[in-house]
Amino acid sequence: MNDRPTAAPRPPRVLGAWWGAAVGVSGLGLVSAFEASARGATREVFFNVEAPWSVYACLAALLGLLTYGLVRHAALWRLGRPAPEVWRDLPSRLRNALRLGLGQQRLGRDRYAGVMHACISSSIVVLTLVTIQVAIEADTPFHPLHGAYYLFFSFYGDLFGLVGLVGVSMAVWRRYFIEQPPRVRWDERIEDHLIIAGLGLVLLTGFLLESARIEVTELSQHPDWAPWSFVGYALARFVRVFAFEPHQLLAFHGAIWWVHLALAFSWLGLIVFTKLDHLLFAPVNAFLLRTDSPGRLALIDFENRPDDEAPFGVGHIQDFTWKQLFELDACVRCGRCTSVCPANIAGQPLSPMAIIQDLKSHLASTGPAIAEHRHEVGGIGRDAVNVQMVGGVIEDESLWACRTCGACMQECPVLIEHVPTIVDMRRFLVMDEARIPATAQAALENLESRGHPWRGTTLERTTWMQGLEDVPMFDGTQEYLYWVGCAGSLVERNLPVTRAVFRLLRESGASFGVLGQEETCSGDPARRLGNEYLYQALAQQLVATFAAKGVQRVITNCPHCFNTFKNEYPQFEGRFEVLHHTEFLERALRDGSLRAVHAVEEAVTYHDSCYLGRMNGQYEAPRAIIEMVPGANLVEMQRNLSRGLCCGAGGGNMWLEERGGQRVNHVRSAEAIATGASQVISNCPFCIQMFEDGTTAVQAAGAERMRPFDVAELLERSVFGAPVAE
Amino acid sequence: MHIVVCAKQILDPETPASAFRIEGDRVVPAPGIAPVLSQFDAIAAEAALRVKEARPVGDRITVLSLGESGAAAIKQVLAMGADEGVLLQDAAFEDGDSHGTALALAAAIRKLGDVDLVVCGRQAADWDQGQVGLLIAESLDWPIVTVAQSVEAISDADLRVRRVLDDGFETVEVGLPAVVTVSNELGAPRYPRLPQLMAAAKKSVAAWSAADLGLATGDVGAAGARLRLARLARPTHESQVEMLTGTAEEQAAALVARLRADGVL
Ligand code: SF4
Ligand code: SF4
Repeated sequence: MNDRPTAAPRPPRVLGAWWGAAVGVSGLGLVSAFEASARGATREVFFNVEAPWSVYACLAALLGLLTYGLVRHAALWRLGRPAPEVWRDLPSRLRNALRLGLGQQRLGRDRYAGVMHACISSSIVVLTLVTIQVAIEADTPFHPLHGAYYLFFSFYGDLFGLVGLVGVSMAVWRRYFIEQPPRVRWDERIEDHLIIAGLGLVLLTGFLLESARIEVTELSQHPDWAPWSFVGYALARFVRVFAFEPHQLLAFHGAIWWVHLALAFSWLGLIVFTKLDHLLFAPVNAFLLRTDSPGRLALIDFENRPDDEAPFGVGHIQDFTWKQLFELDACVRCGRCTSVCPANIAGQPLSPMAIIQDLKSHLASTGPAIAEHRHEVGGIGRDAVNVQMVGGVIEDESLWACRTCGACMQECPVLIEHVPTIVDMRRFLVMDEARIPATAQAALENLESRGHPWRGTTLERTTWMQGLEDVPMFDGTQEYLYWVGCAGSLVERNLPVTRAVFRLLRESGASFGVLGQEETCSGDPARRLGNEYLYQALAQQLVATFAAKGVQRVITNCPHCFNTFKNEYPQFEGRFEVLHHTEFLERALRDGSLRAVHAVEEAVTYHDSCYLGRMNGQYEAPRAIIEMVPGANLVEMQRNLSRGLCCGAGGGNMWLEERGGQRVNHVRSAEAIATGASQVISNCPFCIQMFEDGTTAVQAAGAERMRPFDVAELLERSVFGAPVAE
Repeated sequence: MHIVVCAKQILDPETPASAFRIEGDRVVPAPGIAPVLSQFDAIAAEAALRVKEARPVGDRITVLSLGESGAAAIKQVLAMGADEGVLLQDAAFEDGDSHGTALALAAAIRKLGDVDLVVCGRQAADWDQGQVGLLIAESLDWPIVTVAQSVEAISDADLRVRRVLDDGFETVEVGLPAVVTVSNELGAPRYPRLPQLMAAAKKSVAAWSAADLGLATGDVGAAGARLRLARLARPTHESQVEMLTGTAEEQAAALVARLRADGVL
């Protein structure tokens, strides 16, 4: 168990052979080129080249190698369970493949890297096209390269060569000179240097080759053509300074031709052995990306199980779907996911990149043995390898530290989905192994027996109503169900929020009612903690209650209920319109049914909860409300909107003890305090509790404590002047 | 070895007192408050499972419960890993006290025949009387070890039990058959693995009536009760605040005087 590989095993023998062959070919090429140049042979496109067929030989070798690599990979992917959903919703998938895959939209989130990568990738694509055209010109009856187009062709070929060099220089600059950002060093391997150096050399030798050709041919034959190849032309003038003899130049040209050829094909060969495989896998993974909400987890069908022995979660690599296995291979170790992971930022034992990489090496090292044994009687190879995955390769602690905040998924340039993979392993821990930290177990048991996760609360679901007159019970005649939720009714701190939303709803004239004692947990905590079975029981019960009551529209207090109702209940045919209270309140302010009249002279900062923001894309409504409150001055935190940092409570971590490092809520509270605002405004009962604790702990002694409030509490002060007395 | 665990389904002890109503000599909980397995009984099940797991395979655990609501308690202990369940169900058992309950459980244990060890919680978490385990031992005429922190079978016929005392621990050995009651110091009961939970849901549970156990209706239930309920009341918590005035020293002096007067200091 301790001998877990941390680096993906590479097949050194094959890699060595490939590079050996490459060096050999280029060596041979050098010799023959010198010979040829001595005889002064010339040709048009394969000018000065003795054995142009060698290009095709290299191409064949490359294709062979690629096929070999893909077959090997595919054998591993096929170990996974089926993933029928990847064939649904094809138009969106194709759009994703184009936009996020080929279009590399995600890369722009780090601007430097975005520019760098766009330079490099566009250069590779264009230069490949250039090369194909040359091949067509040379070896087919078609001759596209003549006249004006030839000049244009020369121009853009050079342009993109230069662009590629700019990209490579940026990469070199960032990796070796400024060492920024640190994530590039987290899991650096020799191949990373090889890829940059290789590409740089391919481009440089390309230009040298061109300049030599220009020097020998065009400068004397068509001097007016030469400047179109502007880089080669400039280089040629430079080379000319050395006043080579013509035969020396020819020899130089011939030699460089071979070197360039060998380098280019060897570099492409890296696709098979290194992270360069993302050239192929990233666009495919963009196609495989889920097209429904990232806030939705996959449903387990407990009724129709393949066999009684089948695990519920994922404890063995072959229990992932093939899509989940495929995406492991797409990872480029860029570290973006880990650099935004709240647990990692706080120094806790979780790195989403390491999870993906560790699974990837686990797949590579154990996959072949599993494949061999999977058809044996009485098993699908589950015990074929004696390496424990969950609890060994992936430690329990890492799985529990995840907030399911989705920051990693939002950032990943190759569209890897970490959260479903992490939750699948949690499902194994909880349902198959029953290996759960005590506090989370208590929360789950509480959910089971009491229908809410708040162990030991002395409040009742109706306590918040004390002091409020005529709280209407939902009976199907009202337009909206106001869903208070467990946190909104059973946790002391959140009662004022619940009351504020209630008062505002009433003030707005909305027709609504509440369920009071009949509310039960939406099931979200159970699902995120990995107990899908319990989640389904709770969710089905509630879907039935909603159906019986005739619920059509729901306003929720809590973004977790919101997400579950909106994105996950349709899995049980529970379909209704779901609004988070901030969405409703913003509308009410806009249509004039609520008026923010009292000034609240405060500098406030706003914290995006993960499940309203990242998971559901609602960044604007809460901000709009704050802006409509007279006097309130919104100061943004550095990490905001889709980059917002989790408060620390997500993914069931409200009921888990934090291990190692700082506490996430302390980190986030410090960020809020750093804005200088006096209040931190959020939209989630969990965030508010985390900030209550965090601001108390972090605030410098003597300073006035920053206070957390819900958007509704802020608005309540502006609409009514003061919160209702208890 | 055949181990019996006695389990009771109780009104949720975490329900706030305000949610209960008292009607005559009965406690009526607010609707929607589900009964739960008494925590100490879950710990008893955990103790039995630990004994079983530390021994060569072949041991059996049977869970016993009394009264209709006990079915859920049995399912839960089965889900934790017990092998079989028996529900003692009969109108004659209703409204019984600890004595009647123990009598019925002991009769069931006798009927099972080959029982070596009975594990109970130290007390039920509703009335906290802590009688049933003792009375079962009495009725069976077996030795009993109470408030155990750990239970370990040292042979097929001997048990080593570490007991919790007020000021420490005590380790005793006892020959089987015997009754043990366990305390929360034993550790948290396990969370059921889902396959077991699903299997437990499908398992059929035997139901034995008073007649099956050879008990006369007059011995158990309300008729056989030896306990008389004198009064039932909801606890009330009152707090009074008295503000002390004066300078800090005067306040401190007044506070000390008050605490002395109330016998706190
Ligand atoms: S979901 Fe959030 S906490 Fe979990 S791994 Fe991703 S970034 Fe980290
Ligand atoms: S998972 Fe995605 S973001 Fe994380 S290191 Fe791999 S490619 Fe980068």
